[in-house]
Amino acid sequence: MSQFISGLVLLIVLMIPPVARLMESVMIIHMHMQMPLLVIAGYFMARLFMDRFPSFFEKYNQNGLPGILLFTIIMVYWMLPRTMDEALTVQTVEAFKFISLPFLAGVPLRDSWKKLSKVGRNNLITLFTVMFLGFGWLYIQSNSQLCNNYLVIDQIILGWGFITMAISMVIYLVYSLIVDPSKYE
Amino acid sequence: MQTAIKQNSFKDKANQAFGISIEDARISKSYLSVAFIALLLGGLLGLLQGLNRAGVLTLPSWANYYQILTAHGLLLVVVLSAFFTIGYFYAGLSHTLGGLLPKVRKMAWIGFWMKIFGFVLVVIPVLMNEASVMYTFYPPMAAHPVFYFGLVFIVLGIWMLSAGAFTQVANWRKNHKGEHLPILSFFATGVFVLLVGATAFVAVEVIFMIIPWTLGWVDGINVMLSRTLFWAFGHTAVNIWYLTAVSAWYVVIPKVIGGNRWNDHLTRMVVIPLVIMNITGGFHHQIVDPGISEGIKYMHVFMSLAIGFPSLMTAYAMFRVFERTARRKGGKGLLGWFKKMPWGDVRFLAPFIAMAAFIPAGAGGIVQSTNQLDQVVHNTMWVVGHFHLTLGMSVVMTFFGISYWLVPYLSKRVLTPAMNKLGVIQTVIWTLGMVIMAISMHIVGLFGSPRRTSFTTYGDFAETLGWNPYMAAVGIGATLLLIAVILQVYAVFNLMFFAPKGVTEFPIADTEPGEAKTPYWTERWGIWVVLMILVISMAYVIPIVDMIVNAPPGSPPFKTW
Ligand code: HEM
Ligand SMILES: [Cu+2]
Repeated sequence: MSQFISGLVLLIVLMIPPVARLMESVMIIHMHMQMPLLVIAGYFMARLFMDRFPSFFEKYNQNGLPGILLFTIIMVYWMLPRTMDEALTVQTVEAFKFISLPFLAGVPLRDSWKKLSKVGRNNLITLFTVMFLGFGWLYIQSNSQLCNNYLVIDQIILGWGFITMAISMVIYLVYSLIVDPSKYE
Repeated sequence: MQTAIKQNSFKDKANQAFGISIEDARISKSYLSVAFIALLLGGLLGLLQGLNRAGVLTLPSWANYYQILTAHGLLLVVVLSAFFTIGYFYAGLSHTLGGLLPKVRKMAWIGFWMKIFGFVLVVIPVLMNEASVMYTFYPPMAAHPVFYFGLVFIVLGIWMLSAGAFTQVANWRKNHKGEHLPILSFFATGVFVLLVGATAFVAVEVIFMIIPWTLGWVDGINVMLSRTLFWAFGHTAVNIWYLTAVSAWYVVIPKVIGGNRWNDHLTRMVVIPLVIMNITGGFHHQIVDPGISEGIKYMHVFMSLAIGFPSLMTAYAMFRVFERTARRKGGKGLLGWFKKMPWGDVRFLAPFIAMAAFIPAGAGGIVQSTNQLDQVVHNTMWVVGHFHLTLGMSVVMTFFGISYWLVPYLSKRVLTPAMNKLGVIQTVIWTLGMVIMAISMHIVGLFGSPRRTSFTTYGDFAETLGWNPYMAAVGIGATLLLIAVILQVYAVFNLMFFAPKGVTEFPIADTEPGEAKTPYWTERWGIWVVLMILVISMAYVIPIVDMIVNAPPGSPPFKTW
């Protein structure tokens, strides 16, 4: 319950208009800070749903794959320039962002993550690494403004944000490939 | 496997009973010798600076103030601190992890000579007055290229030493599955991770920006970017020296006063955030720099103050340990336990004063992290006062305190009562000198006296003549300090070569009995490193991309002296 409440509080704080406006005013903070925080809020809240409706998750997310698929679709959707732009101009899209990221990405991620094997997890991280490199390249090399609401320099910064995140994930993957924890633990 | 473990724990025990092996001791002794020779030279130059700024000493025509200041900064903040840190932690690794592996020893020596070679390359142009760029070497001031080649070798040496430390730790963990890394080695791991992270930035600055530029391969340099890369390094370096001192506060001091150390889990929880969040603090050195948007500076105030949290935890932990120990010895009342502390023991007194100095030093640091307040003190003598409190007292006095047991431990000698007394006297003189010097620097800084400026009366302008009494006090402090430096260096070499033979223990406190077991996830260094990189990218991507994409035309090199 306390986890649910901390997730809920986080979600509400992120929704407060001045907070939301501040975070959305910088493109990279919008995508790489606000959105992940929304997912984290959902991740925390998931505890309650998993305790209340175990049979639902058991039925629809038996091996974790459907949940991961949903998570990935939602994440990719919000990485597109068009959707970010729309969130700023169309109220319903903004509302959809605050619902979809916690409840359709954060919640299924938590339920699925523990059901995945180590290989499954690393495959997911690899998938996101590749996507981040792709999106990073997209945002860095694009000379035209992709969003009405953000400048080209914001795009380039966001692109490098993708690249550095990808680098961090590569380092993690290399680490988990070459270091065998069973040798140490 | 079973026998391997047995052998290993036999080796651990032998190591503890007979003391450090001669080869391991030689490594640490070499590092400490270089450190204290640097202290002697640096202290001497500090005196020259202090007397010059007091207006009583005119430097000879062949020496210029900025040349001396460059050497002082490099000797004390780069050589003394780094060599001490490495000597101390390598002794700690050897002691707590059952002796250094032969290949780690080899790496330690290669690293040593790389650092020395690099340092010689740095010193030559400084002596020739071809590199009076101060230890920050901000472009567009340009030194002779050899100066920068020297820096590269120093960095390579540090990487070699870090690799050695990681090899040692990984090997120990393989042979001690599921066990926690001994606490001092845990600190060492954090320190070497930070050393690699910090020097990576300065390596990029020097190799990819400054060297091609001083060699004339490119016409201009991006000044803002180079400053940013420098401070990611410079800030972290200083914090590494601080973390080294903190390791002794947590691990060694409780043993010296005959108590137990602070909760193991919480201690590790101080180290981990300090490693993850440290490098990004570098921006607080650029609060007054142009070209960084206000929002970013605002964000970095939080980043800096986040590091304040583990520091406050440290303060709490220390006083808790002191109080608990003294009460056990019969100290009574709210503050009566204070009398039970071993004030006559230099191994306690010096680090205790070091900790106490961190209270005003930390407060000053918060002042400097605050945009509006920093506008008042930036680049004044206030800042010089501040880092003589943090480094000259908190860090260096802890190092001094350590030297009184570490050196005899390494040389298999003992600290005699007479030498202890000398140490106490040394501590008192150093404290007096630093307090006088730092307080007057803070005050005169508030009045506006700039740092890094040799003596001048500003054409006998009345306002600035009012600074002179404070600068005279700086000179007095500097004189006391040099006396203390000489005593300290004498003590170190006496303990290393002449003190009576005997056994000195490596003091490492035990945890409180019955403490809950520390969770194993604290050992996941791979995760901490990835988190560290993530935090760094969060903090640096916006300003650095902005600095590169919106860069003004680069600046040609200048020789301003
Ligand atoms: C013997 C004791 C010492 C004396 C008398 C002394 C004195 C001074 C003086 C007068 C300055 C110059 C201020 C200016 O013109 O801007 C200075 C700068 C400095 N000192 Fe010390 N100091 C001493 C010890 C230390 C120690 C132990 C450290 C660090 C571990 C240290 C680190 C520095 C640094 C980094 C600078 C700044 C150099 C620069 O601005 O480029 N000093 N010191
Ligand atoms: Cu700093």
